Amino acid sequence: MKEFAPLLHGYWYLFRGAEMTLLMAAAAVVPATFVGILLALAQVFGNRFARSAVVGYLFVIRGIPLLVLLTFVYYLLPLTGIDLPPFWGVVVVMALYYAAFMSEVFRAGILSLPRAQWDAARSLGMTRQLMLRIVIFPQALRLASPPFVSLCANLVKATSLVSIVGLWELTMASREIVERTLAPFQIFLGAAAIYFCICYTLALYGKYLERRALVGH
Amino acid sequence: MPLDPHFIARLIPALIEGAEVTVELAILTFAICLVWGLIVALAHSTRGPLSWIAGAYIQIVRNTPLLIQLYIVFFGFSMIGFGLSGFASGLLALCIQNGGYMAEIYRGGLQAVSLRQYEAGRALGMRRATLYRTVIIPQVVARIIPPMTNQAISIIKDTSQVAAIAVMEMMKVAEVWVESSANTYDVFLGVAVIYLALTSVAGLAGKLFERQLAFAQ
Repeated sequence: MKEFAPLLHGYWYLFRGAEMTLLMAAAAVVPATFVGILLALAQVFGNRFARSAVVGYLFVIRGIPLLVLLTFVYYLLPLTGIDLPPFWGVVVVMALYYAAFMSEVFRAGILSLPRAQWDAARSLGMTRQLMLRIVIFPQALRLASPPFVSLCANLVKATSLVSIVGLWELTMASREIVERTLAPFQIFLGAAAIYFCICYTLALYGKYLERRALVGH
Repeated sequence: MPLDPHFIARLIPALIEGAEVTVELAILTFAICLVWGLIVALAHSTRGPLSWIAGAYIQIVRNTPLLIQLYIVFFGFSMIGFGLSGFASGLLALCIQNGGYMAEIYRGGLQAVSLRQYEAGRALGMRRATLYRTVIIPQVVARIIPPMTNQAISIIKDTSQVAAIAVMEMMKVAEVWVESSANTYDVFLGVAVIYLALTSVAGLAGKLFERQLAFAQ
């Protein structure tokens, strides 16, 4: 059992990496959600200019790998002289990247509400603002929550990419330990198990939300 | 200096050479996963231990990052004396992950065909093979084209992660050029444009295929 001692230390180190992964994902998901909702609103309710701006943004973001943008920022940040720690640099990129996918989720939520909901609210004499606030948005958010949660799981997986541009989190931690212990299977499988626990929990939660969202219909 | 024409004239051929590897990886992954995903989906639709194994496979590969799978294949296999080249490791990891996603797409397509379609076919006295060939499969194919198109786009973007194990695909070529020239803007502009072009072509191909099928029906 002696050979397991360094591995046990390794696993402990992985958990600290996982903490960083969760922190990074949480820091990115909040602004991503916020910007995603704004983009969705602009695309559904905005004028022609706003709509085409959003469509252009989505086209560009969804056609380029996240890794390209992360690497770009990694090389660019020092050049621009913006004094932003690398952690916040990647958080901003991830947030802007995932905002595009979030906006699709929220837009689908708004658009998949039956027409009758809008008509009913209007026939009750509600102002547009009131209608959106108490009729449309609560239901749209409920419809959007299952895909939102699976997008969050995707974001957690995507944080592994920041290890390529040199940030320390779970994947970077596992690479460091592998370099020291030369036990790639044990360590990488350990890291995979941690990612799995996080993402599968989110996936199950998404399934639960999906079942619940169907109940009302 | 950004947008230096002499630099771009030398850069473009190098990037295109990298893009060839990117395209090769993406097409191979897509083609292999079309088959592998179907096998997994069919295994998942049976009853018994085979279904359980397929289900576990789908959940595990979908809820762990591609990058970790890549490291397990590349570093893990070489540790046990079963070393694969970077390209082969990348291809294997891409297929492992996307096979899981494609299996879910097939499953969704099969589930979306209502049971009444089977009953109606049988009521008309169709043989099993005829029923599948003329009724079920055309409907499944029509339904899976949009998600398959998205998966193809996602595969093209995923190939960039293979740069992490030093395969000279477009992302790695770009990194080398940035490191050696410090002309960050031009390199990333070129890479972004080529990725956008590749993903747009995949998206358009999916749309065309969809339309052609709509005519055929």
